[in-house]
Amino acid sequence: MMRAVSAAETAPTGYAWAVHAEELRVRAGRHLAVDGLDLALGTGVHGLLGPNGAGKTTLMRALATVVKPAGGRLTLLGQAADGHTDLRRVRRGIGYLPQQFGFYPRFTVREFIEYMAWLKEMPKAAIPGAVQRAIDRVGLSGKANARMKTLSGGMQRRAGIAQAIVNDPEVLLLDEPTVGLDPEQRLDFRELIRDLGVNSCVLVSTHLVEDVAVACSDVVLINEGRLVFQGTPDELVAYGDHGGAGDSPAERGYSSLLRRHRGEVAR
Amino acid sequence: MSRILRIELRRSFGIATIVMVVVVGAIMLYAAPQRWSSSWMELMMVQREYLVLLWPLAISAGAYQARREHRSKVDELFASTARPRFQRVVPTLGAVGISVVAGYLLMIAVAAPWIWDTARYLPAAAFAVAAVGVLSVIAAAWLGMAVGRLLPSPVTAPLLGVGALAYLAFLPFALEEWLGALISPMADMGSFHDFQTISGRVSAGQAVFLAGLAVAAVVLLAAGSPRARLTALLPALLGLGLGVVVMPHGDDYVYPATDRVAQELVCAPDLPRVCVSRVHEGLLPEVVPKARQALALLAKVPGAPTAAEEKTVTYFEKDAPRPTHGPEIVTIPITVDREGHLAWPGLVVPRMLDAAGADGLGCEHGGAPDEVARAAGSWLSGVEPVAEPEESPETNQEAIALWNDLRKLPEREALARVTALREAVVTCKQTITLGPVKAP
Repeated sequence: MMRAVSAAETAPTGYAWAVHAEELRVRAGRHLAVDGLDLALGTGVHGLLGPNGAGKTTLMRALATVVKPAGGRLTLLGQAADGHTDLRRVRRGIGYLPQQFGFYPRFTVREFIEYMAWLKEMPKAAIPGAVQRAIDRVGLSGKANARMKTLSGGMQRRAGIAQAIVNDPEVLLLDEPTVGLDPEQRLDFRELIRDLGVNSCVLVSTHLVEDVAVACSDVVLINEGRLVFQGTPDELVAYGDHGGAGDSPAERGYSSLLRRHRGEVAR
Repeated sequence: MSRILRIELRRSFGIATIVMVVVVGAIMLYAAPQRWSSSWMELMMVQREYLVLLWPLAISAGAYQARREHRSKVDELFASTARPRFQRVVPTLGAVGISVVAGYLLMIAVAAPWIWDTARYLPAAAFAVAAVGVLSVIAAAWLGMAVGRLLPSPVTAPLLGVGALAYLAFLPFALEEWLGALISPMADMGSFHDFQTISGRVSAGQAVFLAGLAVAAVVLLAAGSPRARLTALLPALLGLGLGVVVMPHGDDYVYPATDRVAQELVCAPDLPRVCVSRVHEGLLPEVVPKARQALALLAKVPGAPTAAEEKTVTYFEKDAPRPTHGPEIVTIPITVDREGHLAWPGLVVPRMLDAAGADGLGCEHGGAPDEVARAAGSWLSGVEPVAEPEESPETNQEAIALWNDLRKLPEREALARVTALREAVVTCKQTITLGPVKAP
């Protein structure tokens, strides 16, 4: 039996949850992609892992308030985010990089991030400084005035991260942020999210178990819309001692946990 | 917000839209400047007529812009931000609106130098006609955006353009005239005379309808659900309903309507009195020397006119007022050329001398035959009769023959015949010739 399957078990004492889901159910079309998920996330960097179709992107979309939950409870930054309340205040505190990052190709990097800052209702006077900081943090200072369509895939992803962090969000949701990044950029990115996680709740959805093991303070593993595991990277690695496939201890822990969960579901 | 709007203008299809509207508009305007060279009102009306192409352009530009939103796949990212959807669409709506309005107004700016010197009279109604034109392109562009958002296909923009063209070209003619003029921003904008206007109620009705259409487009664009989209029908129907109430119906709807102020006479400050209509005030410097030359030549005829005025009567008005001026006034024929100046200036004096300055305007039978009137005038000036442009040569040949006959007569006899001719026209005789004058 796996440890740490419920949020309550892993919650540090006195933790102020930035994200709190109870029995959360979210549909992706007709399919219930998130099905009774319990999750609590506070300040820090949380890595969201799971196989394809596990419900990671649907969960991210629900946390980004793009889709309404079909059931259960979702609380973001202390406010219910069930689709019946005004989400404006909550959204001001959210940064989101979707899996399919859409942008206006004719805009320059600076213009697009400025546009996003306006959409996030940042104070007018704060926008220029915040935009420049976000561009600097993702290492795009040299490309600030280049049009988005002229950037490489990796650079576009970094611009996506810049728009997500421009408002210094309390909850930062990054869906596959390292796609297209070269190894050096991935290292920079890890550094960046560690830095951001000091004051914010950062949830990074990725297939790269190693990224999570190295850069995250907390690992969330979901499968078939349910929470399989939540714990530290060391705890994930420890599961690898009981078997599992993969090149690294973290990968072995990941595959071991999934195998066990599938076995339990099958029983 | 202004900074965001500037970014949108720069990066959307705003500049391309402005260029497209201005270029297409300028080509249409300058293809036939004689259609609008006589007055500001004529320019505004002709511009409205050209909405037959500008409207489809605007609606297609809106749909094309909406396709950018779709292709950019920004919906999900934007939906996660704090601004509600109706605020999120404001910069794009603003940029598209500003583009089509700028294009429309620049068209006026491109045409303005052409008539700047000659077109002086600028009535408030001309601003209203232009304002309705502006509103119409905004409504078209926003409607295009709304439909383009609902149907983000590559063929939406061209199909909308063709649909808008068909709507403007055919639908108004299937309806009663006043209703056609309400729903089509270009209907009944054809110019029949230089004193034409569009009544305030007509412009107000059109503005209300178009405003309803524009608001409906915004609601449709900002709507996030099918039910919210349905509510877009409300402003459209409300605009149509209010427009129907405001618009003059049936016999109250007059087309072409006449601007009485434009018809008012404006005179040169010194004597002899020479007056033109207010709408042609800018032509006064060109007209005065010719009119006075004609008056001087007419002076040899007993009871000759002592003043010259432009004829301002139009034949399109119901119960059109008959000309009130008497035989002491000679009519100045004024036609404006493509440059806004007097057309065929060489014909002004000959035409004023026709029938020794009598035009028979108040008569049932309409004065002397052309060749007779012209021969009499030419005898006064001593210059061979001049044909009207595009006139059949026979008419002028007859005039020349009659003129030659007059010249062969002793001067007193010729003058008596010309004077008798004038008298016959002034007194509305049915048969008017240059024949021998019978002894009283």
